[in-house]
Amino acid sequence: MSFARWVAIYGPTYLTGLGWTAVTAFGAAVGAIVWGCVLLLLRLAGPRWPARAVDAYVQLFRNTPVLLPIYIVYFGFPLVGLPWPAVICGGLALVLQNGAYVSEILRGGLKAIDRVQFDAARSLGLTPWNTFRKILLPQVLVYSIPALGSQVVLLLKDTSLLSAITVTELTMQAKLLTEQTGAAYEAFIVVALLYLLLVSTTEVMFRAAHRAVRWR
Amino acid sequence: MPPGSFGLLVQGAAVSLALAAAAIAGGTLFAIALTPLAFSRFAVVRALYGLYVYVVRGTPLLVLALLVFYALPALDLRTGPYIAGTLVLVLYVGALFAEVFRGGVLSIPRPQWESARSLGLPPLAKFRKVIAPLVTRYTLPPYVNVCVMTVKASSVLSIISVWELTLAAREIIERTLAVFTILGVAAALYFVMCFGVDRIGRWLERRLMLRGFVGERA
Amino acid sequence: MIRIRGLQKSFGTLPVLRGVDLDIADGEVVALIGRSGCGKTTLLRCINFLEEYDGGEIRLDGEPLWYRAAADGRRHRVSEAEARRMRQTMGIVFQQYNLFPHMTALENVVLGPRFSQRVPAAEADALGRRLLTRVGLEAKISAYPAQLSGGQQQRVAIARALAMRPKILLFDEITSALDPELVGEVEDVIRALLSDRIMMVLVTHALGFAREIAHRIAYLSEGSIVELGTPAEILERPKDPTLKEFLRRMR
Repeated sequence: MSFARWVAIYGPTYLTGLGWTAVTAFGAAVGAIVWGCVLLLLRLAGPRWPARAVDAYVQLFRNTPVLLPIYIVYFGFPLVGLPWPAVICGGLALVLQNGAYVSEILRGGLKAIDRVQFDAARSLGLTPWNTFRKILLPQVLVYSIPALGSQVVLLLKDTSLLSAITVTELTMQAKLLTEQTGAAYEAFIVVALLYLLLVSTTEVMFRAAHRAVRWR
Repeated sequence: MPPGSFGLLVQGAAVSLALAAAAIAGGTLFAIALTPLAFSRFAVVRALYGLYVYVVRGTPLLVLALLVFYALPALDLRTGPYIAGTLVLVLYVGALFAEVFRGGVLSIPRPQWESARSLGLPPLAKFRKVIAPLVTRYTLPPYVNVCVMTVKASSVLSIISVWELTLAAREIIERTLAVFTILGVAAALYFVMCFGVDRIGRWLERRLMLRGFVGERA
Repeated sequence: MIRIRGLQKSFGTLPVLRGVDLDIADGEVVALIGRSGCGKTTLLRCINFLEEYDGGEIRLDGEPLWYRAAADGRRHRVSEAEARRMRQTMGIVFQQYNLFPHMTALENVVLGPRFSQRVPAAEADALGRRLLTRVGLEAKISAYPAQLSGGQQQRVAIARALAMRPKILLFDEITSALDPELVGEVEDVIRALLSDRIMMVLVTHALGFAREIAHRIAYLSEGSIVELGTPAEILERPKDPTLKEFLRRMR
């Protein structure tokens, strides 16, 4: 059947998948950024063992594929009395994985801030918390926006793996459609286009955000 | 830990490593052919390169894998999951390598190119003695990063029935429910592989740095 | 000798060279001076075809370079192989990043003779050593560029250009990026080259040095040679008002 008809008939299916993908990605992205900030703070904190623990955490998640945390949460949590819905399990795994990368990105952004600023803050008598809030955090965020954007795009693409644990996002919808109709090409090409759309939109948003905060 | 499962996981790891190695080799060759297109005199060729990279980087690997997985039988190529899986990885990783090479080429200072041109070097000698060594030294750190990504990407192929470490782990879990032990061991095996690749990369960098050239480590 | 007639080049819609005429006799040294953007570097780069040009011609010892007039009256670029052959008659030294960082000084110098001119390894090696000694760097034959100072790198670059036995040497502001104390060693090398009687074209801001070694100085402005003469004429008795202003600024 023609492409247009295909889209007309199965549009709602795609939209459902698109919705799940977007919501999961958004939620996980926010979670990952928050978790990444927490990890960063732990790393900066005084005693040595939190910093070491974060280092080990980051190394672990950088050197293992994201499917493993997804499976651990999805298959493991029910066994310890936490039978959470698949999408929550998947989202949590994505947060844990991407939080590691976010903390590295923020750490890089931190390094980009001149030491002089800290000295200036101290000489102005700012408390550590105020220094963090007014001087550190804004600059770190500005420096990190491009890299964070890339990471969010990666996270977005990783949501496709949640199809392996029965989450009904875009990729899952495509698989279901293929099994239903046998029209693999149409099913997956539309899905690919939708992902490209999501990715491009995200990239545009982050570029705009970067421009907006840069000229302050 | 369920009996025999450790051996299975190690076998799976060997398969993952083999897949990654094949993808890295194939992807590198593919990228060597692809990167020059990014610098073509013809805007159409450059646009095609850009389009290819855009599509491959903007689509999840799983979707690409499923596309290829379903497309091959339609083209009457019944090749089995391993070939299909390696093909997908090569297409995917090749685009990533091509971007790494392109970035490396762009970071070579212009007078280096012009010196090679001015010496009137014939194309083969120019490539062998100037371009390849320079590009290698400028691209080694990001190249190693992509190699590590390839090892991790091989796990996605488990979803299209390519038997490797992740699929081995999943099968054992579905049989025995020893989730944490099995996935823990699988994670450890991936860690060893990825970390190993990274270390080899750093060793190579150090060796090249000793030959008098100083590159930038990410 | 080099004969340049009516050389024209635009970058897109921006004209950079507007009909340059210049003759360089065998053994002559010509300095090109002028403000940034006047076209002097572009002119230099057209000579060895690092830049394509839109009109005019360049002849070396009577042979037209880089473009041939075809039977249909239009001009065509010569083939890459031809261009490579022509480039071997010229040596060029850039402001910086000349040397290949992954090769020693000697390897840099012998690269051209061995792979472009197919000189046998032993002979190329001997040639390379002679030239490096000549520029005062025999102790640095096995050094990598990262281990050499800026001035030493430029001297190796000159040796590398000489190794091709060129008919003309092109220098693109080769001392501009150097720390002041290193400039002298490079200028010494160029001074010593005068006895070789190779044609040389230098794009330079170092007017004192230009006065010393150039037979003629060409002052470019907005894409053409506005004034051309001996160093004494150009630097002490400038006629063109923009040249006078330029010299005033440079003092």
